[in-house]
Amino acid sequence: MKKHLHDLTIKGFHEGLLNKEFSAFEIAEGYFDWIAEKDKEVGAYLSLQKDEALKSASEVDVKVASGVEVDVLAGVPLAVKDVVLIEDAPASAGSKILEKYSASYDATVIKKLKEAQAVFLGKTNLDEFAMGSSTENSGYRLVHNPYDLLRVPGGSSGGSAAAVAANMALAALGTDTGGSIRQPAAFCGVVGLKPTYGAVSRHGLIALASSLDQIGPFGKTAEDAAIVFSKIRGSDPFDSTSVEAEEDDLLKPDFERIKKLRVGIPKEYFAGGLSPEVEKGMAEAERRLRSLKLEFEEISLPHTKYALSVYYIILPAEASANLARFDGIRYSRIVSEKEVKSLRDIYFKDRGAGFGAEPRRRILLGTFVLSAGYYDAYYAKAQKVRRLILRDFDEAFKKVDVIFAPTTPTSAFKIGEKTEDPLSMYLSDIFTIPANLAGVPAVSIPVKKYSLADKELPIGLQLIGRHFREADILGLGQYYERL
Amino acid sequence: MLSKKDLEHLAELARMELKKSEEEKLLKDLEKILGHFEELKELDTEGVLPMSGGTFSRNILRADDLEETKLAGEKSVSQFPERDKGFLKIPPVFE
Repeated sequence: MKKHLHDLTIKGFHEGLLNKEFSAFEIAEGYFDWIAEKDKEVGAYLSLQKDEALKSASEVDVKVASGVEVDVLAGVPLAVKDVVLIEDAPASAGSKILEKYSASYDATVIKKLKEAQAVFLGKTNLDEFAMGSSTENSGYRLVHNPYDLLRVPGGSSGGSAAAVAANMALAALGTDTGGSIRQPAAFCGVVGLKPTYGAVSRHGLIALASSLDQIGPFGKTAEDAAIVFSKIRGSDPFDSTSVEAEEDDLLKPDFERIKKLRVGIPKEYFAGGLSPEVEKGMAEAERRLRSLKLEFEEISLPHTKYALSVYYIILPAEASANLARFDGIRYSRIVSEKEVKSLRDIYFKDRGAGFGAEPRRRILLGTFVLSAGYYDAYYAKAQKVRRLILRDFDEAFKKVDVIFAPTTPTSAFKIGEKTEDPLSMYLSDIFTIPANLAGVPAVSIPVKKYSLADKELPIGLQLIGRHFREADILGLGQYYERL
Repeated sequence: MLSKKDLEHLAELARMELKKSEEEKLLKDLEKILGHFEELKELDTEGVLPMSGGTFSRNILRADDLEETKLAGEKSVSQFPERDKGFLKIPPVFE
């Protein structure tokens, strides 16, 4: 069975299922057996939904046996970051404050995947409220990088990335507010897509920063990411920022078209600051892309260096507002009745006991930048510079179709290396944040095929596209993977 | 720049109890992060329209009808901490 798990892609799974090489039930069981063995050392999952998963896998098998046509995602075992709601499953957001909470409805993305009869194995570990770049801020347990257990998987969707990398899920959902899909994808050697702002509904996502958050897929290949993305995208009346997808060649990339894409290399992303192994990986990736005879051009995104400051003003501001709802009243309460006498007590004690170090820091920072006397100097200024960053991309996309950049400045760092200094942790998102601020789609793709047995730490290349042009970056990603 | 008193005021605004033992580290971290933001001052943003959100959509309207949702009824409040005779119970707001 293990051989199956390690070799499967979504299409491979679908064909095997239709050809009766295996049943969806067998595969789901195989995944749970492997998780029971492997996840002790990785720590990717916070909860498993075994009964429901096996039940929905059996339903797929019944359909296949009776010759009913099933979706390409039918029976596909998925992992879901624990900020996306699945009805009646725990939804902790990695925080103690939601330890006792379970979701009362399905997120729109889950509803869509359930219609396709995908199978949900469980909810994955993350940095508390998706705040972090290493999953070390989880209120529950560490996640270890499957390539080197002493290193972080990245974050905040570290559990989802590690689950796919260690073959504990065929694909997964994560969320990306400043790099939380792409950075762990790069560290774990898998593909991770942050869709365009508005491409995917966030209804049923526990919000971090609403002007930046997007839900997106992890897959072993760009094709797998495209298949999951094509299923979850589209407009939704419950998220008024979501828009209907246009016709494109997302699922059947036209490589004749892809070959003619012009690729921009932003000089600011290569101007020092890359670790030697990332520099080497990027040179390798560029050489391989150039062998495809694509047209390259050096471009400039002049405001790149300000993106980190802009992000760490806007994100805490929005997060401090979004996290106000966790007040010990509306969801569940973690402090006992004896400890609280008044409403004020409930707020202060529940939030005081429930939020870990990083949410505390960001709530206070957000409260500060929004407070009277500081609003113009910080928040209003950041919103203006955000506009300049968007203009950088608009200018660049007049010249090129896709931007080629590293996903991260280094490969996976050691557990504990950056926990003492939040600013050094924030800097690990320096190449992923600009795409969130501008709202453009971006994907991280492994520079080459990595094998867990080799122990070589993966490097990710990032492809950034025009708004709603996921078909360009995933198409080029698929073209690249064929090399 | 930030004093302990400022920090306590922020915690008060955020309705979040702080431990005495974490205050020093928090102040140090916030100081360093706020220091990093100083670089924004060198940019001239005169006349730049603030980007107040991520969407380019304008005026998203819908018919004024009830939307079908599973969230109505018992399930939406089943995890509320205190209940009494069908009511949701909290301590008095005014004492």
